[in-house]
Amino acid sequence: MRVPLSWLREYLDFDLGVERLVELFTLHSQEIDGVYRLGVAEGEVVVGEVVEFGPHPNADRLSVAKVDLGGREVQIVAGAPNPYPGARVPVVLPGSVMADGTKLKKAKLRGLESYGMMMSERELGISADHGGILLLDGSYEVGQPVAEHFPVGETVIDIDVTPNRPDLWGMIGVARELAAILQTDFRIPEPSFETGGEPTSDFGLRVEAEDLCPRYDLRRVSGLTPGGEAPLWMRRRVHAAGMRPINAVVDATNYAMLETGQPIHAFDAEKVREGIVVRRGRAGEKITLLDGSTRSLDDEMLVIADEERGLVIAGVMGAEDAEVGPGTTDALIEVATFAGQNILRTSQRLGLRTDASGRFERGLDPNTVDYAMERVAGLLSGVAGGRVADDTLGHYPEPVRSWRVPLRLSRARLLLGMPVEAEEAARRLASLGCEVGGEGEELSAVVPTFRRDLRREADLIEEVGRLIGLDKIPEALPGARQPGGLTPEQRNTRLVRRVLADLGLSEAITYPFGPGRWTRDLRMDGDGEPGVVRVENPLSAEGRDLRPTVLPGLLDAAARNRTFGARGGGLFEVGRVFAPSPPPKGLDEAALHFRMTGKVEALGPDAEPNRLSLMGVREEARVCVVLAGTVRPGGWNVPELRAGYFEAKGMVERLLPGASFEAGAAPDFLHPGRSAVVWAGNERAGWVGELHPEVSEKFGLDGWPVAAFELEAGLCRPDPEPRFRPFVNVPAAPRDLAVVVKESVPAGGMIAAVEGLGSEMLVEVRVFDVYEGSQVPEGYKSVALGFLFQGEETLTDEEVDVEMERIVVRLGEEFGARVRS
Amino acid sequence: MTATDRIEELKNAALAAVRAADTTAALEELRVRYLGRSAELTEIKKSIGKLSQEERKGVGRSANLASREIEGALAARTDALAAAEREARLRKEAVDATLPGVPFPRGHLHPSQRIIDEVVDFFVGLGYGVAEGPEAETDYYNFTALGIPPGHPARTMQDTFFLDEGLVLRTHTSPVQVRTMLSQEPPVYVVCPGRTYRRDSDPTHTPMFHQIEGLAVDRGLTLGHLKGTLAAMARHVFGEDVNVRLRPSYFQFTEPSVELDVSCFRCGGSDAHCKVCKGAGWLEMLGAGMVDPDVLEEAGYDSEEYTGFAFGMGPDRMAMAKYGIPDLRLFFEGDLRFLRQF
Repeated sequence: MRVPLSWLREYLDFDLGVERLVELFTLHSQEIDGVYRLGVAEGEVVVGEVVEFGPHPNADRLSVAKVDLGGREVQIVAGAPNPYPGARVPVVLPGSVMADGTKLKKAKLRGLESYGMMMSERELGISADHGGILLLDGSYEVGQPVAEHFPVGETVIDIDVTPNRPDLWGMIGVARELAAILQTDFRIPEPSFETGGEPTSDFGLRVEAEDLCPRYDLRRVSGLTPGGEAPLWMRRRVHAAGMRPINAVVDATNYAMLETGQPIHAFDAEKVREGIVVRRGRAGEKITLLDGSTRSLDDEMLVIADEERGLVIAGVMGAEDAEVGPGTTDALIEVATFAGQNILRTSQRLGLRTDASGRFERGLDPNTVDYAMERVAGLLSGVAGGRVADDTLGHYPEPVRSWRVPLRLSRARLLLGMPVEAEEAARRLASLGCEVGGEGEELSAVVPTFRRDLRREADLIEEVGRLIGLDKIPEALPGARQPGGLTPEQRNTRLVRRVLADLGLSEAITYPFGPGRWTRDLRMDGDGEPGVVRVENPLSAEGRDLRPTVLPGLLDAAARNRTFGARGGGLFEVGRVFAPSPPPKGLDEAALHFRMTGKVEALGPDAEPNRLSLMGVREEARVCVVLAGTVRPGGWNVPELRAGYFEAKGMVERLLPGASFEAGAAPDFLHPGRSAVVWAGNERAGWVGELHPEVSEKFGLDGWPVAAFELEAGLCRPDPEPRFRPFVNVPAAPRDLAVVVKESVPAGGMIAAVEGLGSEMLVEVRVFDVYEGSQVPEGYKSVALGFLFQGEETLTDEEVDVEMERIVVRLGEEFGARVRS
Repeated sequence: MTATDRIEELKNAALAAVRAADTTAALEELRVRYLGRSAELTEIKKSIGKLSQEERKGVGRSANLASREIEGALAARTDALAAAEREARLRKEAVDATLPGVPFPRGHLHPSQRIIDEVVDFFVGLGYGVAEGPEAETDYYNFTALGIPPGHPARTMQDTFFLDEGLVLRTHTSPVQVRTMLSQEPPVYVVCPGRTYRRDSDPTHTPMFHQIEGLAVDRGLTLGHLKGTLAAMARHVFGEDVNVRLRPSYFQFTEPSVELDVSCFRCGGSDAHCKVCKGAGWLEMLGAGMVDPDVLEEAGYDSEEYTGFAFGMGPDRMAMAKYGIPDLRLFFEGDLRFLRQF
């Protein structure tokens, strides 16, 4: 709501700079979206009389005038050609500052001195009209300040009205609010007009759609002077409030709307056939609006029609047919209330929001109609010379009455956390228009019907609190009533992220929705796959599918980084993945019921379907890592780290110590020979591997090594619960063993076999070298194992030899391993 | 020449040789030559027994004195040479200390996640728990349970992504609060961080963003508790010196509703051209309020017995303010040039 301050001063007196005003509004009521200035910010505008006017000798498009400013004559260069000798014009004097901050100086324009400037309506902030110099009538005395007639500069504050306060969409509401903040009085203009115009009852009024139209009033104003534009003061205010001045009748209705917050419509009575009908739109009905567009109606849209055709889409916009125009002499004025939600729906359906619909959609107070009708009638007859009908046609079957809301002071103090005196609470509520009764600690307020947001005690407490000032509330902290903390799972996830960052990776957060090609390019669109969860209304096809794995978003990011010159890198993300999970057979209805109402219908005496099974989507938290290209550049003393299976696997082992790896079973998007399924005990924890070259190519990563893994976040154990194991202070005996086995023998199996021997002396076994080449036969490899033995007492060579022999035998039996000499 | 003279001669020769020696190896040779088993001085000592009683005393003493003097000189010279040699070796071992060390590169946590961690840690310290919920949420929990039934205007304000019938991508983390209230009796102290989704995409809106909402329900909670809690949180995240202010506002699930502004931590309001606050001096930080009695009742809590406050903030925007990030879209592109700055 744009509030011109000079207009606001008509309703109340205040002596505040605009900054303080903005601050007060911000701290006690609504946010201020902006402050605008129009016209002349500083300086003087005086009435001048043109003495001579002619072309500029050195410029085709300029003119030059001699202007009498009341006793002295000055020369002014002008861009507009409309002044003439004898015309009275506003002249802004040199030294003045315009609203946009430009300072006017005595200047030479194309060689001629120009003293100040003759002003257009736009330059004065009256309207957007910049077609010529504003010509003043004879009531403006030469040499006198123009400000004696109207303000030459204006400050407008733009209030960001919250949806619960439709009363602030009118100047009177804003004035009441400011008066309540300042604890002062405000005044409402007293409408006055002459009655005796043509009777409204020459027309009929029939409200068919009562549910969509709580109130409808119609009154006729006849004998209007045709063709007139509204007086300057009215146009000026309408313009400053952000609307376009059109003609006297329309401007008067808009002015009354800006003042009361109540939209008003005027029909040209001569074009209305028989009477006004308020009804729903009809199938196939079309209406051509003022903006020239033709709209199709439906039966959820409310139409104001006459007996023959639709005239207005109620609350939104009128048709050309019965609109008031320059020739209108007889008008029917509509002041009505429509169902807010319905207006909102219509305006959304049509993609058409207007000053009127924006107000109606919040739900207006039907009782405002009376004053608004009086006020607009008064304005109309005042600015367009009409006479108002004695009678009003009305439809208001269920008048809204005010209601009483109790207020306990104890409750106010509890909710606000500050002292509140009964007298002060009562005074604050009264300043908002409430009639406050009750006594002592128990008050009650009769709420005016224009404050539909004040229904409950808590609503009143909010009003009292904000008017006293939220800055008066002391800061306090509640005492801790329970031990807080992260759950073990949350601690674990946090640690996973920390560990991955400490391994040198960067945490990414990517969108969980992507294009259909994601699953195709990942070779996840086969028959056996579970499919994906679809977004019904994606922003574009690029966001149609919910990810079944975090991988594709990170691959896209890696490719993007490559485009911008990265030589590689490591990314990780902890996020959700989604899979369709249709409800059990026969429970589709129950599932929908649960999703819409939160309620689960029992299947039988003790059977209730599992809520999770009705969700329709299975959601899991995963941690995903993508290593691409050069993960870490080399240095003068260290080699670079390139993406590869073992780099990724090492990270898996860091996050999930004790994991086991099953080769040959990983998803199809991985390299079949360089990948594994990761197991945490008996639970499938995820996968690790190098990307399948075909997939790499699809994601624009061809030619780069790419390795990745994804694990169930909840199964990771980067910091397993420690447990003390006793140790002995005796020397340990290290032994090494190199064996030759077939290439296909898994080293992991050999280690498992050694550990399976259950030797009590063996405290450590590791692979320290794997060799294939000229030293071993074709198709074979040499695996070098390192062992560490330790016993209760110092072991003898003989004792260790016995253990080594058992190991050699076992490896020989199980893997055909021969000791390499 | 008497034996004593000979000893004197040997001693002087030894001392001169020691002085002249310039390696520890040469000194060892000298030790063998002058003090070793077959050295002349040793021979003289061995033969003392053959001398007369008178001679024995004089020769023995001067031989011993000479040995000791030579040993002393050897030791002193050895120490000196060893020190010099060590020094020379260390000089040779010197490296270019300005070369970079072996890299242990630090990784990077996402800026939004950093803020979330900070905020969550703060509330955990106050005894709050942390609750999470599904991102694919039911219509009921996302809307109806919060007082936004089908057809309510607020539904259209939150451009929603729809999934299967009755399912949406949650438009806020509020459903987590609902789920918490439905599963727990007061006192409730909980924060709910997470991803949220709205169908919106421009420089200042991304279709996915983060929220942290919080909820406290207990006996006797006031707007003062809300103010104190959130002011302390703001100081925790933005520094001890920031001020906060409450402004009235309007939200569906709270009454009274407020917004919390934080004084600009960069300029404190002193810079009309400040990049962080754009000269306003205040930064809009979060929306909050006392939980609407209807919402408490919907959760099965007695709204006469219990009061509560709720708040919601945008960690992405907080990160933008704190780290000076100009564009929200940067957060979700996985661009290493961006991520590596945090």
